[in-house]
Amino acid sequence: MPSRFRRLVKNPLIVKDGLSRVRTWRAPAVVALYLAVLGLVVYLTLTVQLSSLRPSWGFAQVGRNVFVTIAEVQLSLVCLFAPAVAAGAISGERERQTLDVLLVSSMTPWAIVWGKLVTSVAFLLLLLTAALPVFATVFFLAGIDFQQFVVSQLVTVAAAFGVGSVSLFSSVVFRRTLVSTVVAYGFTFAATAGTWLVGTVLTQIAYMRSQVLTNLTGPPPPPDPHPLLLMSPFNGMTSVLQNANGGRVSVGQTVHVLLLAPGKAAAAGPAFEPWQATVLFQLVLVALSVFGAIQLLRSRRVSARLRSG
Amino acid sequence: MIAVEGLRKQFGRHVALQAVDFEVPRGEIFGFLGPNGAGKTTTIRILATLTPPDGGTATIGGVRVDRDSYRVRKLIGYMPDFFGVYDRLSTLEYLEFYADCHDVPSRRRRAVARELLELVDLTERKDDPVDTLSRGMKQRLCLARALVHDPQVLLLDEPASGLDPRARIEMRELIRELRRMEKTILISSHIVPEVEELCTWIGVIDRGRMVEVGPKADVLRRTSSARRLRLELANADADTLATAQKRVSERKGVIAVDVVENSLEISVEEQFVNHRLLRDLVQAGFEVDAFTPQTGNLSDVFMRLTLPREVDREVGGVPGAAGGGGTESGGAEA
Repeated sequence: MPSRFRRLVKNPLIVKDGLSRVRTWRAPAVVALYLAVLGLVVYLTLTVQLSSLRPSWGFAQVGRNVFVTIAEVQLSLVCLFAPAVAAGAISGERERQTLDVLLVSSMTPWAIVWGKLVTSVAFLLLLLTAALPVFATVFFLAGIDFQQFVVSQLVTVAAAFGVGSVSLFSSVVFRRTLVSTVVAYGFTFAATAGTWLVGTVLTQIAYMRSQVLTNLTGPPPPPDPHPLLLMSPFNGMTSVLQNANGGRVSVGQTVHVLLLAPGKAAAAGPAFEPWQATVLFQLVLVALSVFGAIQLLRSRRVSARLRSG
Repeated sequence: MIAVEGLRKQFGRHVALQAVDFEVPRGEIFGFLGPNGAGKTTTIRILATLTPPDGGTATIGGVRVDRDSYRVRKLIGYMPDFFGVYDRLSTLEYLEFYADCHDVPSRRRRAVARELLELVDLTERKDDPVDTLSRGMKQRLCLARALVHDPQVLLLDEPASGLDPRARIEMRELIRELRRMEKTILISSHIVPEVEELCTWIGVIDRGRMVEVGPKADVLRRTSSARRLRLELANADADTLATAQKRVSERKGVIAVDVVENSLEISVEEQFVNHRLLRDLVQAGFEVDAFTPQTGNLSDVFMRLTLPREVDREVGGVPGAAGGGGTESGGAEA
């Protein structure tokens, strides 16, 4: 097997970083903290929901509400932890003065970046796996079907890869882990919460504009989400669990909203679920970040430029 | 084995290397001498494929470092001038990790790691975390790391810096052992006695230019302005030494005679015939205890070839224009 593909699975960095990570008290402490937060959220949400239980709801609605809450909290925690574990991946090697030795070995920049990304995301996947029993408790109450559960986890994993890979790119660009981490957090906020907030505002603006410029009669149709909103994993998660944005959106509708065009857009082009757009956006982020990180490591210009400074 | 021709490198406005040329034959230990900021580390980083050159060529085993870095990396073992260790691994795991990075087959990794730990005398510390090792031990471990893939060429950047005398001697013996294993070794250093004792070839770099290069004996012969002899007299008092000094200095071919402690240091021209002076001194009644030609001193050569920055300024040079004052190796210590 060519070295490049062999390193996809047999990557010494994955073994080494994995060993190093689990040998500290930090890894079990983070897992414990993560589970404690999720457990607490389940407990509080369940308590509030049961105390305000309406006769028309039933336990299925309670289960649904609890699930939505912990899924969003889990997504938030993953977005919080991902920069912490990935933003020091390469800059840490540089600070430890081990990067040059790695670059002189048979490890290609591709293998180094891939190994670091897998190690970082693997820890996040460990957190998600550890939280499965917490999610399982909600299933006793029903309200969420298995497909929704799988898609919600998929959105979370995609967000972990997206935020992790951008943080990794940041750690290649910046020499200091502290700077890299701050930049990675800034980007994470912008790409997750920022896109959600701004996307929601722009969606409403586009919606109101289309209402003003057209004289529609009857009940107004639901707004088409702005492309910025589609980028946010929080929006993707919400759409999976609540169908908040009215289901499928076509490319034509998205372009229509992007251009702030008047009237109701025709459903032209392929249609997709909002969560699919989110996952696709995260995959694009991964591809661009990994490609950029490899190119920067390969050219070694970052290293040389920063050194001479 | 190593050939460098017209190598140039510039970092912004700072010229680190300007037309560096040298060769290192197979199996030799090449001492790469130069003051701080002369361009040693930059040259080594180019040879190690870590820094692309701006011009010129550098080959290792006939392979251009800027064209086929992957093949070059198979040929070289690189030890930078700092410790790069992972503190949560044992010494054995540390070497196994790098063996894996160098594509050593998994069935051989453990054996290779054990052999190398034995070579660098760290077998007893194989299960200890790397960060518990002393500086000298870490340095030896780093040398072992550079050997995991059995490279033909070793590039060692300041391998003895910061080591105590004992660790330095151990490192020296280790490098000699590696030469017996037919490795070609390039050692950069600014510790002249270390290089003088260990190396078979010498290259002196200053301000990004090679000022002298060749086999050690040739370099010493070429760079010594005169041959030197040492004369020791039995029961030599000040008067006897003064008489002998006067007699020797009157001889044709003698450049200078200095009294150093209880002996005479005599500088003579290249064609001077030693045994005639000895015969004349004995016939004149001097009781000669020892009469020995002095080999050149690399420290003197180094001091003469590498001018201080102030001299450079006085002779109209541009300070810092070529390796001086800046961070060597493109600022290896950024």
